[in-house]
Amino acid sequence: MRKPLTLTALVALALGLGACAPSTEQPTDGTDAKTGTLRVWLFDEANRAAKEAVVKEAVAEFTANRPEVKVDVSYLATETRSEKYKGALNDPASAPDVAEVGNTDLAGLVAANGMADVTEDMAKWSEAGDLPKDLVKTVTVGDKAYGVPWWIGVRALYYRTDVFTDLGLRPPTSYAELVDAAKKVRAARKDMVGITVGGQYTFGAMPFIWDAGGDIATSSGGRYTATIDSPASKAGITAYTNLFSDDICPAKQCVDLTGGGTVETFAAGRAGMGILGNFSRSAVEAGAVKGKYAVVPLPGAKPGSIAPAFAGGSSLGVFRSATHRSLAVEFMQLLAGKKYGIKLYDAMGFVPAMKSARDEVTAKEPFLKPFIDTMDAGTRFVPVDKAWTTIDAEKIVPNLLQKVITRRATVDAAAADANNQITAAFAK
Amino acid sequence: MRRSATIRRQRLTPLWLLLPALVVLVPMFAYPLYQLGLLSLFDYGQPQVSGGVPARFVGLGNFRALFGDQVFWSVLGQTVVFAAGCVVVTLAVGAALAMLLTRVGRVARTVLSFAALAAWAAPAMTGSVVWLFLFDSNLGLVNEVLGLPGYNWLYERSVAFALVGAVVVWHSFPFVMITLYAGIQAIPESVREAAALDGAGAFTTFRRIIVPMLRPLITIVVIQSIIWDFKVFTQIYVMTRGGGIAGQNMVLNVYAYQKAFASSQYGLGSAIGVVMTVILLVVTLFYLRALRRSGEAL
Amino acid sequence: MIRRRLADTVAILVAVVTVFPIYWMVLSALKPTGEIQSADPRPWTLNPTLDHFRSALGVSGFGRYFLNSLTVALAVVVLSALLSFLAAVALTRFRFRSRTTILVMFLVAQMVPVEALSIPLFFQIRDLGRAVPGVGLNTLGSLVLVQLAFSLPFAIWMLRGFVAAIPAELEEAATVDGASRFTILWRILFPLVAPGLAATSVFSFIIAWNDFLFAKTFIISATERQTLPAALLVFFKPDENDWGGIMAASTLMTLPVLIFFIFVRRRLVSGLGGAVKD
Repeated sequence: MRKPLTLTALVALALGLGACAPSTEQPTDGTDAKTGTLRVWLFDEANRAAKEAVVKEAVAEFTANRPEVKVDVSYLATETRSEKYKGALNDPASAPDVAEVGNTDLAGLVAANGMADVTEDMAKWSEAGDLPKDLVKTVTVGDKAYGVPWWIGVRALYYRTDVFTDLGLRPPTSYAELVDAAKKVRAARKDMVGITVGGQYTFGAMPFIWDAGGDIATSSGGRYTATIDSPASKAGITAYTNLFSDDICPAKQCVDLTGGGTVETFAAGRAGMGILGNFSRSAVEAGAVKGKYAVVPLPGAKPGSIAPAFAGGSSLGVFRSATHRSLAVEFMQLLAGKKYGIKLYDAMGFVPAMKSARDEVTAKEPFLKPFIDTMDAGTRFVPVDKAWTTIDAEKIVPNLLQKVITRRATVDAAAADANNQITAAFAK
Repeated sequence: MRRSATIRRQRLTPLWLLLPALVVLVPMFAYPLYQLGLLSLFDYGQPQVSGGVPARFVGLGNFRALFGDQVFWSVLGQTVVFAAGCVVVTLAVGAALAMLLTRVGRVARTVLSFAALAAWAAPAMTGSVVWLFLFDSNLGLVNEVLGLPGYNWLYERSVAFALVGAVVVWHSFPFVMITLYAGIQAIPESVREAAALDGAGAFTTFRRIIVPMLRPLITIVVIQSIIWDFKVFTQIYVMTRGGGIAGQNMVLNVYAYQKAFASSQYGLGSAIGVVMTVILLVVTLFYLRALRRSGEAL
Repeated sequence: MIRRRLADTVAILVAVVTVFPIYWMVLSALKPTGEIQSADPRPWTLNPTLDHFRSALGVSGFGRYFLNSLTVALAVVVLSALLSFLAAVALTRFRFRSRTTILVMFLVAQMVPVEALSIPLFFQIRDLGRAVPGVGLNTLGSLVLVQLAFSLPFAIWMLRGFVAAIPAELEEAATVDGASRFTILWRILFPLVAPGLAATSVFSFIIAWNDFLFAKTFIISATERQTLPAALLVFFKPDENDWGGIMAASTLMTLPVLIFFIFVRRRLVSGLGGAVKD
């Protein structure tokens, strides 16, 4: 019997460096064909038909006076979208012209040289002035624009009107009142948590950190510095993690909840309050608490203040390797404009990014008022840097929260740890 | 090993027979494997892949970063213990049920083998989701039956590992059971009857008669279980939501995914891949060597 | 007799526990949403509904995706059976210099984490597609090729035992009778290892059917070539916990494998035993 291939030989094979280096694709700038098929990627949704109808209408309008152009729209599942983007980056032939991009994903795509710089196109667009500044920042890397904010979602405080009335409570207007109300609900209703919060719910925790004056990182001169271990950030972390106590939301029950988990808990009637988005309304309406809840802005520490919310949502952008650059920009602007923004709201309940469109839908729908108030108070965002992909993928913030909640580490130790990890992510 | 004298003379024949498989495997496996080794020596991320940024040769830098990371070592230790537990339990359950199958009536045998096939057929993703639903703290049947409303099975590290381990075993014992049962069936009846006449119990029969006769089959089963369980991904990823509370249930494959692939650090990811492969290889070679010492050959 | 009865009872109990999660999956898929979300779950339902299945089947292009998945899986099963049979014969009936090396390489191949290989494979497929049409990105051919590569090492490794179990005298006798090498391979050996092929094809089928890593990596812009698992991922939304939809989608994903299993079951059990007499 011959000896099997030895380990050394295998390692030698694995490390056997030839002269060749790994494949690196030079970025290809797209072309600007004026005819043919425009490829558009949008996100798939649970009730896609409604979204599809709006998009079809936009396509019909777009092609009406461009008979030589066809628009091919495909819908990407949320779960597979990052692979699709990577595929489009690595194989420009498969890339779309226009794509919907989760607003936290954009910076990574820009760093990978995937998105076209549309600064000039935006400057020329008549509707550009209608976009709020804090949202424009979410599509701006350096001083260049790489897309248009399309729709936004923010979170606010949902509470149970029936329970609050029974217990003689009023919706909280400060953090102290929030804690107080939560404890009273929990004390009176054993099967409920005071407020449903989650250890994996980054965007539920961030408002507390922002409100305390902290942040994940601050930028100066285009460079980010991690600040999650600043005294202000730690105060915010403490405020959030203190909610995971037995008399509010017991750690055992709440530490591994994601944002979706808190929606489920609130919808099932097992929580007095919850930090849910305007986009969660249909899920809540489908649950046991239909008709028994109302929404107010999430209060900050200072009485009467509103804690800054995360500006979630999605943007539209043009891929750098788009083959129909001008057409792509035109279609992007059509879809992101006020007209289709309002139509999309009517179909899906997504709040349009455009200020005037936002005003119009609020007038129609009183439910939105607390959310719009929150937006008007100013929204915040994650670092617009490719490092966010790493920070998110490595779950640095949830791990920090969970360590503190389970008392496996002190706030100081956990925040210092997370700060190092975030610093390392920016250094890459 | 018996040989076919006639065919043996044709020296080139094996090459021709292997050729079709190699045509697929060399470009689809060997070359990417070589690329994997190569990538592990570079700083290679999405900006390098598509952004025109040159890939930077970092030598063993990725490996140094990995070995210098405390988390890596604790995850590695955890993975080895978890995988070993899963392998042992899977083999024990599979072997015990295979023996059981030889002693039951036709109906029971058919029922059990169908049940096992059903568990085997369930994709890892769906199996994990169904179990998660059964053990859900609020909507789950298990808490309802046990009278533990709201009990969180994922809170304690060991309980969470046990639950995920149960799912891994559920998915993989059918392979062991059916393979060993089929093996036992192939052992001549007379040998088994002789053992029974000697008054040997199930356990003795298994150890004295079946294990020695089925050694080649057991070798395959053991090696495959080691490989599969060491690389477990879906069950952990889905059930503990990506590694458990504060990463307490992290295993190597999920760690690699989170650390490297989800954020497109392909160089680092490749380094982890190389390390995992080498570890598995060492374990397997040790096992094969131990077998050879006891007289078995590959 | 009592011992037999005890053994029967234990076996049936184990079977019930084993199959229970599958039962629960199908049951939850049939329950109306209100019952799924009730805090008082019951192991039956009086109001079965097909709503969840309807919404899963309503994924536009379901039939197309199903066909794509089936095509890929069957192509992989057939090709993998053929190629692994030939390779297994080479590795059992012949002794040659690099035999053990090749065997160990097949093992190594199974040890590499798939995610790690998906990056180099992507470029390989892209470049291959530029040279050979039909196996590049966005084609079902690429999925067949990659899945084949991933199922072959294990198939060959398993099949080796089956081929070894066939007495060499059979081939020798055939040779004496003047049969050609081709005849020996296809007329004598092939039918004899058929049970083994059934066993290994189960693995190939599962690998090919369940894959979504490569489906989502390689099928980028051609939505009409998407496979079923990748399409059904829509239902596995971590944030929405639509358990009914998840369970219906899971059921639809599991069923074809189960049917394939039942189809080959007999051969499977007799087949796996063949690997004994190495």
